[in-house]
Amino acid sequence: MLHVDDLHKSFGDIHALQGCSFQVAKGSMLGFLGPNGAGKTTAMRSIFRLINPDRGEVTWNGEPIRPDDLLRFGYMPEQRGLYPKMKARDQIAYFGRLHGMDKSAAIESAEQWLAVFDLEDRFDDPLESLSHGNQQRVQLAAALVHDPELLVLDEPFSGLDPIAVETMSNVLREQASRGKAVVFSSHQLDLVEDLCEDVAIINEGAVVVSGEVDQLKDAAPIRHLELDIDGDATELIDQLEGVISTEAKGDHLIAIISSETDIRGFIARAQEAGRLRHFSYTSPSLTDLFREAVK
Amino acid sequence: MTGFGAMWQVASREIRERGRSKAYLIASTVTLLIVAAIVVLPSLLDDGVDEIPVGSLGDGNEVIIETAEELATADDEPGEPASVVYEVTEYETRGEAEAGLEAGEVDAVLVDGSEVIVQSNTGIGGNSTVGRLQRAAATVEIEMVVATEGQAAVDIIEILTSDPLETTSLSGDDEQTDEQTIIAYAGMIMLYVAILLYGTWILSGVTEEKANRVVEILLSSIRPWQILGGKILGIGLLAFAQVAAVLVVAFVGLQATGGIELPDLGPKVVINLLVWFILGFFIYAVLFGAAGSLVSRMEDAQSVALPMTMSAVAGFFVSVLALDDPTGTVAVVGTFVPVTAPFVVPLRSALDAIPLWQYGAAVVIALVSIAALTVAAGRIYAGGLLRFGTRVKLREAWRGGLE
Repeated sequence: MLHVDDLHKSFGDIHALQGCSFQVAKGSMLGFLGPNGAGKTTAMRSIFRLINPDRGEVTWNGEPIRPDDLLRFGYMPEQRGLYPKMKARDQIAYFGRLHGMDKSAAIESAEQWLAVFDLEDRFDDPLESLSHGNQQRVQLAAALVHDPELLVLDEPFSGLDPIAVETMSNVLREQASRGKAVVFSSHQLDLVEDLCEDVAIINEGAVVVSGEVDQLKDAAPIRHLELDIDGDATELIDQLEGVISTEAKGDHLIAIISSETDIRGFIARAQEAGRLRHFSYTSPSLTDLFREAVK
Repeated sequence: MTGFGAMWQVASREIRERGRSKAYLIASTVTLLIVAAIVVLPSLLDDGVDEIPVGSLGDGNEVIIETAEELATADDEPGEPASVVYEVTEYETRGEAEAGLEAGEVDAVLVDGSEVIVQSNTGIGGNSTVGRLQRAAATVEIEMVVATEGQAAVDIIEILTSDPLETTSLSGDDEQTDEQTIIAYAGMIMLYVAILLYGTWILSGVTEEKANRVVEILLSSIRPWQILGGKILGIGLLAFAQVAAVLVVAFVGLQATGGIELPDLGPKVVINLLVWFILGFFIYAVLFGAAGSLVSRMEDAQSVALPMTMSAVAGFFVSVLALDDPTGTVAVVGTFVPVTAPFVVPLRSALDAIPLWQYGAAVVIALVSIAALTVAAGRIYAGGLLRFGTRVKLREAWRGGLE
């Protein structure tokens, strides 16, 4: 279990972390969300002792992280970095060896991972000859080569095509199902909603929302309302209590409303106002939760 | 994995990747070819016979030219072909002779055994052919005076040009001094070039890892000192391999061609150079490594190298002063300053001008400095590595090393 507890970190006048806490259990996957500059990368670097927090601590299985623990962690930094002229297989095997693998095991694992990412014919190609997407796959393979117990991935999906996104998603799912703790940051909220049971949302250096996605949705004080109507939808909404925000696209109207609002009367009024083609009243999406959390 | 295991991994990657790189292979090959050419070519082009073209106008020249040949070949082994041969061109008129000189057909023209015409008699040492002919003419005159066989005249000339008094110098073994000075000076220049050249490799190697951002993954699994140490070790071994190859090629080439007589180096000089190459390399490598961590782009790397380059230049000048006065104040101070010691100490030692205690103290100071600089550089390195973009200020990196 990875436990990030009340981290504070300032760089001069910039308060990057101001009480950042979250945890990741073995066998689970945490989506780490937040707007740009919220402190995601700083928090992730703290796990690897790349940054010493001013306050708070990071523990693994209840103990402060020691150098040996780092050899059982895998990291994909936001700033991708590999040796441009080194061959793909040699490169991945090198990171395996830095994490304590012996030579043959490192090479074998490097080849396996390249095969998983459909790069079995590119073993001996220098990294710089691979496409951007393929370089990213090699980067992920470098984080996975030593079969880490904890995987920390900073924006692993950015810049990937839909097929690569699917491969990457499957690999992460499989890692979690094999008992690894996985945490990754992303701005693709629908993807996170699809992949993760747990999320933590960070804003201005502090985690403001965290927990299981389903529970968070149910417990959220807001509901997601959508309708298509022939007639003036805005006027209808204006009569509704507890409206937090609305967004209209032609006949289509989306509103975030308080979960306490009674909408039974509203449905009746909507049917009277014109032909009601579509109506939905649901728990908020992760995107709704995110928007509320970082407002 | 132990701390040194990870360091060795970094070092062996450096050796495998850099050692196989085109840049290293081409640089090594070109260096070896140049060294081989310098060593072997002169003896290939030189067939061992010195041919001197001279012109002759009028009478009375033959005896002088014959005597000049006798004088020049007096030391030749009997049975071997003559080492000096005069090729004589006869001229009919002074005009022809001058034209021949201008065309470069001959070095000098003897006229009637009493005059010598040359194109130019300036430059260092003047015209050596004129000197040879002058001595030959003088010998002919002496020969006439003593009216004996030619061999006696040669003996007289030998006596005239010899140094019959034995010289004793109070400062010690003077027979060796010239040779020692050359060895000491050559060794010092080699150290200077090697330390700066390979230090620059360290600098660019560190900056390169920062430029391609691979450093963040490295730091997520191993410590800064392991990265810096491994890099210095790996590049150091490649550097030693290159130096060793150059020395082997030079040595084998000289032995094979017999072109130049090798001074008897003896183990002391070799060990001395080796010890100070290693110490000097490490002192500068650690500094170059720390400097490299301050910049994120290769273009900026040279600007942070200035303090090291200036230190090495200072070391070089202190050594040049020490060559004149190897026991003077400047030399002694330079012995105890870690960045100048690698140049000054081997030089003083080659001249037998350093007391044992100073030598020992210099080695201890160098070792302690390497340890202290490694700790300090490790901290700057750690503080500099994850600060990307513009050049990191030294103070900022130093403070950042604790973060």
